[in-house]
Amino acid sequence: MGLLTNILLSPFLGPIWGTRWTLDKVDRVVREELTDDTSIKEDLMKLQLELESGEIDDAEYLRREGEIMKQLRAVREWRERFGMSTSGGPVRVAESDETE
Amino acid sequence: MSPAESAAAAAEANPVEGKYVYCIIRNDRSREFGEIGIGSGARVYTVNHNDLAAVVSDTPIVIYDPTRENVLAHEFVNETVMREFTLIPMSFGTVFRSENDVLALLKSTYQAFTDVLDKMQDKIEFGLKILWDRDKVVAAIERDNDEIRRLKDEITRNAASSTYFARMQLGRLVEAAMEEASNRYVTDIHEQLKDVSAASRSNKVIGDRMILNAAFLVDRKDEKAFDERVKAISLQYEDLLTFKYTGPWPPYNFVNIKLKLEKAT
Repeated sequence: MGLLTNILLSPFLGPIWGTRWTLDKVDRVVREELTDDTSIKEDLMKLQLELESGEIDDAEYLRREGEIMKQLRAVREWRERFGMSTSGGPVRVAESDETE
Repeated sequence: MSPAESAAAAAEANPVEGKYVYCIIRNDRSREFGEIGIGSGARVYTVNHNDLAAVVSDTPIVIYDPTRENVLAHEFVNETVMREFTLIPMSFGTVFRSENDVLALLKSTYQAFTDVLDKMQDKIEFGLKILWDRDKVVAAIERDNDEIRRLKDEITRNAASSTYFARMQLGRLVEAAMEEASNRYVTDIHEQLKDVSAASRSNKVIGDRMILNAAFLVDRKDEKAFDERVKAISLQYEDLLTFKYTGPWPPYNFVNIKLKLEKAT
């Protein structure tokens, strides 16, 4: 049974392992993408700069600021969903030393 | 429910029970700073513990988006407080559930706050962002760099026969010269500001025109000298660089206390 099963099933097992590995990797990449707000914050700073230099007016600033806030909120939601730390919201002094 | 909706719902359910904390100062009696707080002019006052005080305003328990309006309100309070006090700024959006939670922060972090307040006594921060005009810098480089000028002349003279390689070579030389110029400007500017500042910190540049994004910690007694020096440097580089000079700020970039805070649910 053993050898025959392996030979018979191997063409199928191979791709399945392969797929699972790829999905794990995709999952990790997607997770990072969803929970990293560095580039969104950079967009906000760039937008600020454009307003200061007069490239855009107040209305345009507010419109794009609204979009960026939406993105920041989405990241915060994903971080909460994955149990990661988030900024903003009520805090208190941590009771144990382990918590930041 | 989206965060905005849940925030609005939370605001309705428990109005103004939280405390928004702007900064920590040294003051042994309570103080009022006027109705200038975040969220349409909330009353700003202090929560005191011994000789320390947290500058706060009442707030619903919400997450504040870092919109320009909110960030400006946060900064305006700190600017107002800064006219009279040395302060430790809190991160934007820091909300505690109750006055007792704020007191717990002052008590548990008393020593660290005291040490940093001593160190920051009479110190203020200035921001300096420097942008360059690529075209002008390239023109200056072509004027001053013999090798680049020669290669460029050659390419223009023999437009038809000049090779792809020669153009690549020119591009590479200009890129390298620009990076060298950028480093030279930044080093020179830091050097010129050294004796009028106590410390400096370079942050990541934003966008492709910025070559410097720095914060300088300045003693109040050197404020005028620092100011004049920045103006002199900006005149010196008038043709090539744009200076964005801001402040005085609280020492946002020079205070680094890791507060042991956790989510209050």
